[in-house]
Amino acid sequence: MKHTILSALLIFGFAFVFAADKGKIEVPLRFDRYYNYEEVNEALKVLNAAYPELTKLDMIGKSEEGREIYALTINNPETGDELSKPGVYVDGNIHGNEIQAGEVCLYYANMLLTKYGENEKVTKVVDRNAHYIIPVVNVDGRFHFFEDGNTPSTNRSIRVAKDDDKDGLFDEDPPDDLDGDGNICQMRIKDPYGQYKVDSEDERILVRVKPGEKGEYTLLGYEGIDNDEDGRINEDAEGYLDPNRNWGYNWMPPYVQRGAGNFPLSGVGLKAINDYINARPNIIIGYAFHNTGGMWLRVPAEKSIEIPASDVAAYDVIGKEAIKITPGYVYKPAYELYPTYGDFDSHLYFIHGAYSFVGELFMRSQETYKEEQKGPKEDDLESLRGGTRTERSREQLEFNDKVAQGELYKEWKKFDHPVYGEIEIGGWVKMSSRLPHPFMLQDLVHRNAAVVFLSAEHTPEIIMEVFDIQEIGNNLHQVRVRIENENGLAAMTAQAFKDKLYELDRLIVKGGKVVAGGKINDVRLNKVSYKEDKPEIQFFALPGHSQVEYQFLIEGKGDVTIDFESRKAKNVSTKISL
Amino acid sequence: MMKKLFNLLLLPVLIFGISKVSAQGISFDKYHTNDEVQQILNSLQTGNSGSVKLHTIATSPGGEEVKVLEIGSSLEDVPAIFVGANFEGDRPISTEGALYLAQMLLDSSKYTENIKWYILPQPNPDAAAGYFADVKYNLSVNQFEINKDVDEALNEDGFEDLNGDGLITKMRVKDIEGSYVVSKNDARIMVRAKTSKGERGAYKIYTEGIDNDADGKYNEDGPGGINVGIAFPHLFPRDKKEAGRFSGETPEVYGILRFIYDRPEIAMVYTLGSSDFCAVQPKGGRKGGANLSNIKLPGRYARMFGADPNKTYTMEQVIEMVKPQVPPGMEVTPSMVAGFLGLGAAVNPLDADLKFYKNFNQEYKKFLEAKNYKTEALDPAPAKDGSFELWAYYHLGVPSFSMNLFTVPKVKEEKKEENGALSLDEVEKMETEEFVALGEEKIDAFLKENNATKFNAKTVIDMMESGKVTPKQMVAMLKNMPKPEKEEGELSDKDKALLAWSESHWEGKGFVTWEAAEHPTLGDVEIGGYAPYLESTPKAELIDSLASIKIPWLLQLSTKMPELKIADSKTTELGKGVYKLEVFVENKGEIAYPISMGERNNYPAPVMLVLDGDIEILEGTKRMKVGSIGSNQVKKLSWIVKAKINSTIDARLESVVFTDDVKQIKIGG
Repeated sequence: MKHTILSALLIFGFAFVFAADKGKIEVPLRFDRYYNYEEVNEALKVLNAAYPELTKLDMIGKSEEGREIYALTINNPETGDELSKPGVYVDGNIHGNEIQAGEVCLYYANMLLTKYGENEKVTKVVDRNAHYIIPVVNVDGRFHFFEDGNTPSTNRSIRVAKDDDKDGLFDEDPPDDLDGDGNICQMRIKDPYGQYKVDSEDERILVRVKPGEKGEYTLLGYEGIDNDEDGRINEDAEGYLDPNRNWGYNWMPPYVQRGAGNFPLSGVGLKAINDYINARPNIIIGYAFHNTGGMWLRVPAEKSIEIPASDVAAYDVIGKEAIKITPGYVYKPAYELYPTYGDFDSHLYFIHGAYSFVGELFMRSQETYKEEQKGPKEDDLESLRGGTRTERSREQLEFNDKVAQGELYKEWKKFDHPVYGEIEIGGWVKMSSRLPHPFMLQDLVHRNAAVVFLSAEHTPEIIMEVFDIQEIGNNLHQVRVRIENENGLAAMTAQAFKDKLYELDRLIVKGGKVVAGGKINDVRLNKVSYKEDKPEIQFFALPGHSQVEYQFLIEGKGDVTIDFESRKAKNVSTKISL
Repeated sequence: MMKKLFNLLLLPVLIFGISKVSAQGISFDKYHTNDEVQQILNSLQTGNSGSVKLHTIATSPGGEEVKVLEIGSSLEDVPAIFVGANFEGDRPISTEGALYLAQMLLDSSKYTENIKWYILPQPNPDAAAGYFADVKYNLSVNQFEINKDVDEALNEDGFEDLNGDGLITKMRVKDIEGSYVVSKNDARIMVRAKTSKGERGAYKIYTEGIDNDADGKYNEDGPGGINVGIAFPHLFPRDKKEAGRFSGETPEVYGILRFIYDRPEIAMVYTLGSSDFCAVQPKGGRKGGANLSNIKLPGRYARMFGADPNKTYTMEQVIEMVKPQVPPGMEVTPSMVAGFLGLGAAVNPLDADLKFYKNFNQEYKKFLEAKNYKTEALDPAPAKDGSFELWAYYHLGVPSFSMNLFTVPKVKEEKKEENGALSLDEVEKMETEEFVALGEEKIDAFLKENNATKFNAKTVIDMMESGKVTPKQMVAMLKNMPKPEKEEGELSDKDKALLAWSESHWEGKGFVTWEAAEHPTLGDVEIGGYAPYLESTPKAELIDSLASIKIPWLLQLSTKMPELKIADSKTTELGKGVYKLEVFVENKGEIAYPISMGERNNYPAPVMLVLDGDIEILEGTKRMKVGSIGSNQVKKLSWIVKAKINSTIDARLESVVFTDDVKQIKIGG
């Protein structure tokens, strides 16, 4: 019965949102607002319609609840086929509640397209790279985050029902939006034996009582009722299948990795995205945006796994810049946060051979309400951290009151709870805490998109130079070639080369008979490691900011072509005449 | 040379038994091609349309459909058994075995009254086609595109049948850098030269073919693909190219996983293939798995539970420590404890489960003996990492039984002179005192017999008396030791068995005699060696008899499934309309529900006892978890309720796995 009322409320809320008019979505897109699921799709469609020659919009698959997942490709066909260029992949909102990640993706697309032809750097990146943008991975999650009652941290899951409390019923006891305001807030009840009392300065804040001190309140947890009458409240919400634990590389079953799902890529939308990436082998770097905490995380996600030093160096090229572009963020391997199995970034790096970053967007410490301080007092760790917890809460509430005009916090209000009787409901609303207020969004999306942009600039650029040709008798020519990668990211990751993940990058001499060929170890001493078989093809992975030289002894005369072939870097070719 | 007695009479029934005529009209006098398998499945479906359904669960990279036959499709609310066969594609007899099982199930209704069966005879159709190919080479991979030598071309360097005999065998080439020599005992067999004994190799061995891509490697990038049989997620062998890049990358595996997880009623899994859990319990002893009877608590948890971080505890002890720390009513399971302690994945079979495996191993032995099947054959292969049968046990947490229908019979040798030494099996069962009491002489004889020459009786007795080792642990150690070296030049048991089998059942053609040939790059070579499928696939005449002896055991095993029922109930008045209500749930099966691994991984569906009636529950909940019940055990659930005398309530035992059971309980009655 209660359920019917609640679902009726949900349907009503749904209709209400669709009727709301937040302004027409048009190019250039606005970033002083959040887009719901439908609006993100609309935004992609208007970008696609405004730039038909530079963009392609693909519906790449559907979610568990049948919602469409869209990917926008930005590529200038006049400068080449997309698969021939180094691919840059960006996605967001894999966790349903982490919505601003979608706005970062939209912003990146909007920035590349609206500044193309105006800004020289942007023009170059659009012409030189292929960009693949999936603003919303967890489409069901985004939909439900907007339309249902939520906390800032609920509704992360893929919509695959799981019996969290193992009672044979699935997702039967989620939090309930009792007051119908679209938020799941806290419940508290007046209780002289409670463990909490109100703060002396701000009575919205509850602080723990000291031993022996009389309490005023007991906290009852998040808004909800005991839907399944098992004596527990809100213990079996949607899922939990964590879309960032369901990928194939180093996947572990749910009893080892919570949220893993029953098997790798059991999420149908995730499977579709994997297929999409698999069909774009040119992708050399990828970003998955999350919230929160202000972090740039790289692989590995588990500390027993090591990656080659030259790949770490390539990561550092980006990571060490990124923390300056986004002040306050830290750059570190993901396992330092906590170990994860089956995460998207490891999958992208180890399975698809692309550098991968997680961007953990937003730091709540940016919600400030205070005079600028001239540096923290010495030995005052608390002021370094921004004060005690209560002091931080006070400041956050002042920020809510005076900077955000009260939009982030719901004042405590009386409510008649079916089980507890008279309680109060209040606290931070869903569009708070992990999400910047829209006035801060523009800064966030731009800085983070700038990091993606920087990595596009660092995708490999290969230069080939035949720097020495000599006749050495017996109808033989000694030909020396230098291959240089001018940018910071390798043409093939060292890990992919080590794992023999796909056909290795190579130099191929065509048109002449190659008698011997190999890598030049010392050009001045003419030290060459000749390859025993098939000397006309030389395999190697070229790290960022590096060069390598090869020598070929070629029999006969005439035209010879030397090709550099790579799955991810742009292929180059040189013709010589012997 | 030692005298050999070939066990030519492999199967008495082959001569005396007459195969039954089946109503299903499948003849097992040949191996069926995939097209024929599909036809059989279709005809089984049309011939039994009321009870059989055919599911297409995937299309292989080679374009073949993968199908599951559901027997008992009209049944609802019953447990199911999933049967998969021939995952590696190179054991066609397993596919036949699965069809044989389907036939038996359809011929009689005895095993399909309360159980639904899902039968997957051909999970790797691309590879299975290899047995019927013009050129055979134990194909186990599908047609998934993998560039195995990661050069510029795909599938450019496969085998070539240079001598045109339809078989890919080996090439031996005289080579100064070679590491092989011809066995002194049998000129057909190549063995590694013993450099430690001053022997020098004379031959290199290659697989039959040419170096098509001229890269110096032979046949390293032939057509295909992924081996479905090693591509499941338990211990997925990611260092093997033929497993794919991740589990489920190939559609057959993905489709099978999806199909099974969509059916939580699957309570038991059979696999027909190369391993044999029916005969030998799943292998343990792998490093890296947490030992649940030796758990160390990290400092912060030790403090939280008031435990000693320097001591080790059993899982049961840790559960007792955690219980007071969780909200009332919350069940503390081994899975939960292992989860927060970060114990990782289980990689060894759990002790409690090995008990039922062991019991059934013994019963199976007797079962075969009763059928007069006494062939001593080569040991079945251990289950592979990434195999279906391991995954079923570790990830589904259900009893997983694999069966090997055929390994080559061993060559019986005349027994060595009886030296009275005890066997490993005898010692394994002994208590420490018993073993020590044997005395030094007997213990020395035992150690010598088992090649444990590094030890002498005295040190072993000392170790046992100080509690460092038990006879059981010692036997486990001895079993893991390298096998004693054969006498100079003597063939391995496997070579002996294969050569004998080739003579007795392949007219000698199981070993292709080395013959000289001219190779385009290697020059003078000889081509020869064991024929593909010799080891795994007997001639078709044996299918029927092997299946008729072994497959019925799978039916027998199905009767051992857990069976949960409400056994009894009791109400006791505490006064003034307040009653204590007790319900007893029994497991009449021979296997616990869930098995120990199921408790660890927390996957098997819960069984709930649900009360329905005009009562007020004072203690307990309307839906109560039954939790785990051992084989032939009873579990008591109790409530305190307020109810009117003589009113009735329904107690319903509910789960997606087992048939629900309802009992009406009269209050005060």
